[in-house]
Amino acid sequence: MTEKPKVGVYVCHCGINISATVDVDAVAEYAQKLPNVVVARTYSYMCSDPGQSLIKNDIRELGLNRVVVASCSPRMHEPTFRKAIREAGINPYFLEMTNIREQCSWVHEDKEEGTAKAKKLVKASVAKARLLEALESKEVDAEPAALIIGAGIAGIQAALDIADAGFKVYLVEKTPSVGGRMAQLDKTFPTLDCSACILTPKMVDCASHPNIELMSYSEVEKVDGFIGNFDVKVRKKARYVDFGKCTGCGDCAAECRVKDRIPSEFDQGMGKRSAIYLPFPQAVPAKYTIDPESCLFLTRGKCGKNPKCQEVCRAEAINFDQEDEIVEFKVGAIIVATGFDPFDASRKPEYGYADYPNVITGMEMERLVSASGPTGGKVKVFNSEEEIEPKEIAFINCVGSRDKSVGNEYCSRVCCMYTAKQAHLIRDKIPDANIRVYYIDVRAFGKGYEEFYDRVRRENIRYIRGNPSEIFKRGNKLVVKVEDTLTATPLEDEVDLVVLGVGLEPRADMRQVMDLLRLSQSPDRFFLEAHPKLRPVDTATEGIFLAGCCQGPKDIPDTVAQAKAAASSAMIPLARGKVMIGAQVATVNEATCRGCGFCVNICPYTAIELVTVNRFGNEVEVARVNEALCKGCGSCSAACLSDSIQPKSFRDRQILPQIAALGAMK
Amino acid sequence: MNLGQLRKIAAEVVAREDVKYLIGWKQGSYGYRIAPGFVEDAAGAAELIFSPLCTANLATYLTLVEKLPVPRGQEADKRKVALMVKGCDSRAVTQLLVEKGIHRDEVVVIGCPCPGMVDPALLTEKYPETEETVEVKWSGDGFLLNRSGEEIKVPRDELLAEKCRLCRYPNPVISDILLGEAVEPWELAEDNGVAEVEGKDVGGRWDYWEEQFAKCVRCYSCRNVCPLCYCQDCILDRLNPTWVNRAVNFSENTSFHIARAFHLAGRCIGCGECERVCPVNIPLGRLNRKLAREVRDKYGFEPGVDPEAEPFQASFKPDDPGDFIL
Repeated sequence: MTEKPKVGVYVCHCGINISATVDVDAVAEYAQKLPNVVVARTYSYMCSDPGQSLIKNDIRELGLNRVVVASCSPRMHEPTFRKAIREAGINPYFLEMTNIREQCSWVHEDKEEGTAKAKKLVKASVAKARLLEALESKEVDAEPAALIIGAGIAGIQAALDIADAGFKVYLVEKTPSVGGRMAQLDKTFPTLDCSACILTPKMVDCASHPNIELMSYSEVEKVDGFIGNFDVKVRKKARYVDFGKCTGCGDCAAECRVKDRIPSEFDQGMGKRSAIYLPFPQAVPAKYTIDPESCLFLTRGKCGKNPKCQEVCRAEAINFDQEDEIVEFKVGAIIVATGFDPFDASRKPEYGYADYPNVITGMEMERLVSASGPTGGKVKVFNSEEEIEPKEIAFINCVGSRDKSVGNEYCSRVCCMYTAKQAHLIRDKIPDANIRVYYIDVRAFGKGYEEFYDRVRRENIRYIRGNPSEIFKRGNKLVVKVEDTLTATPLEDEVDLVVLGVGLEPRADMRQVMDLLRLSQSPDRFFLEAHPKLRPVDTATEGIFLAGCCQGPKDIPDTVAQAKAAASSAMIPLARGKVMIGAQVATVNEATCRGCGFCVNICPYTAIELVTVNRFGNEVEVARVNEALCKGCGSCSAACLSDSIQPKSFRDRQILPQIAALGAMK
Repeated sequence: MNLGQLRKIAAEVVAREDVKYLIGWKQGSYGYRIAPGFVEDAAGAAELIFSPLCTANLATYLTLVEKLPVPRGQEADKRKVALMVKGCDSRAVTQLLVEKGIHRDEVVVIGCPCPGMVDPALLTEKYPETEETVEVKWSGDGFLLNRSGEEIKVPRDELLAEKCRLCRYPNPVISDILLGEAVEPWELAEDNGVAEVEGKDVGGRWDYWEEQFAKCVRCYSCRNVCPLCYCQDCILDRLNPTWVNRAVNFSENTSFHIARAFHLAGRCIGCGECERVCPVNIPLGRLNRKLAREVRDKYGFEPGVDPEAEPFQASFKPDDPGDFIL
């Protein structure tokens, strides 16, 4: 670039966000005198249409070839201003943003000091802007298909939306059936529609949809590539049952030698299943699976004379020689809908969940009240061997939520309401039961929730404000020790059954998914969205979206809304058929590269490989960057001992003058 | 070790068609001096030796050799280089393999199990350098000096080099041909050098290194001799941007030494060559060993042991300790 740099500096007031702590006029006046600066202006909202026009006009009239915008974080408006300067005819990468909001005005109180710092930051940006190079972004084709990980209600809904729009969907579910947590629920608040009735049709739809390839009992092994072009490897675990032959008749499970001896995951361990099983009657696909951990033949190599299942299966579907199958395919976008784990109540030992059978969790209650549950919908407990219908029932809210002692500061958002719903269902089943709910605050924030809570309270269900400190046994009864904080009365409440309103936690296998997709966590340990308000379903990795409780606790309406949002976002690259790839990629100086491959190892996007080149007749290895994969993160540059790889726009010769400008200040 | 066997095997190796030359040790021009020998034929092989004076790590020549432009119409010489290594040297070769500085099929490694080297400084202090060639041998659990016919027996502890006192790998960790029998690893000495610096408070450490670095004349011998400093274009030489200015003063010297030490963190295999060649006796080994220990204790990584290892500086685990990050 031989053209002399002509820099325009634009200082934004951001209403009073910046101007309250930074004297923006003084900053502009200062910038005006910096070398190569042709014009410096302020405006109340630089990102607004008139603000952008200001810049565009100056480019046209004053012949600016570099633009510095001192405003908010580039994460916020860099794309906005890039677009603006491109429209005015200069390369979009001739823009440097100075963050004088998040990194200056918002974190300072003293206006004088804030102004001084803003000046310094602007000076540094001008120093760098002069050295910026013109870059071109490229466009590549996008694969019109999506991968959805997790087939709970979020995954199912997203899959259906994308498939209905005409794109191919690969729906990968870890367990043998789709449906997820919602399938375990009985009725759903606040309308009390039966969870199965509203979910199962969707489950069936997603199995029969011509555009959806459902891979149940499968796990994503590897994801490479980038938006528009993800290469996915899925392991279809061996079911030991021929998927094509199994008719789902169930003869095998009925005859299994360990029948009714294996705790059913679906029934929260309260019901029992066989080693060959269908997780629940409405499971989709309706194909049996042999659990390799409990099957006698698979664990011991022997099951009677012959495995019973094999003997009785008329379709001859049992195949103990089946092996895992690896399937590879390409997608343009990925939706992560891996859901949550219920809080493990044994982590609150004071509630005695591990010790007393009559202390159960909300999830267990769901199965207990469900007509398809282990008791056929009868709520019963054992009182020293004797089965009784509980008459004194206590619910405890916020178990594992809003509780720093277990590391969960957040509200799980569903416990207040599911507790109210379960109280209502019990009132229905045991009209003379004494039901009370111990709560800290009741959060009934959704549509129809407050009304529902009000209705439940009027069904003679007592809400007692207090967080129980202990549950212990006295005779046949459980004693809930608590202080009613509204009346400051200590209570020892004798009950037959305690239901712990356990919260929602990030899944235990979260780390696996994070490593697989290079996702980040927010402080609550759920997946981090790209922006809490404006990009709530996006992740920092383009083309990967979040839906449902993997991003944070949610009720069903919110989950479905987010799934639909993720689906529509994922469909943007699929529908366009093209994606832009960034221009700020790493570039290698092949003359100094020593081919050690540190950058190859460190690159989180597998964007670098070693290639053999001819250096004056000698074959040597050097690093080469796949620009489509590179995100310009600069990790390679940090690892390179010979400084031979650097991201464009963040080269040493561009950054060092910026640092030097920050150091020296008059 | 039997010198006859060494020379016979060396002659066989250099006679191989796929071997370009062999790098070994030979007698130097006077006194205790040992020189690297680049052997291309049987006559050269007959000059090779292996003695307690063969401290030099010859692995550095693997990367030091310049790949000259190949004249048009000719092919690059792709024959292997044979290299004699002690335990520590073999770790340098291993680390070079990890970093792809060389490839396994480019080198024939001739391993020499090493009973421990003498420290040239301790030696000359006691028995000054002479013009006449002095022969030094291992004898029992000590060293045997032959100065002009006079045989002097010196206990091992008196002359053993510091790097050898701390050595855990006296036998080559990698070799194609192993000469002689493996030696029994010996009990490790305490690393008093590092302990001495660690025992000081921050101010004391700063004073210590200030004194050391102030001596540096920036001859770059430490870098040049290091088998693992082999960038085509060292960033410490670069003028734009100038990471280290070409001024010999405490500030620039310190920048140089910090950069050198950090570039070698998790890569230095402790051959001690940097410290041996330093003309002003800066205890670089202390710096290197301190970093090596941090890497081993914090990340469980030891360089130059496993040729299949992932390079330390380019690996990341989510549970890596980060408590030192401010």
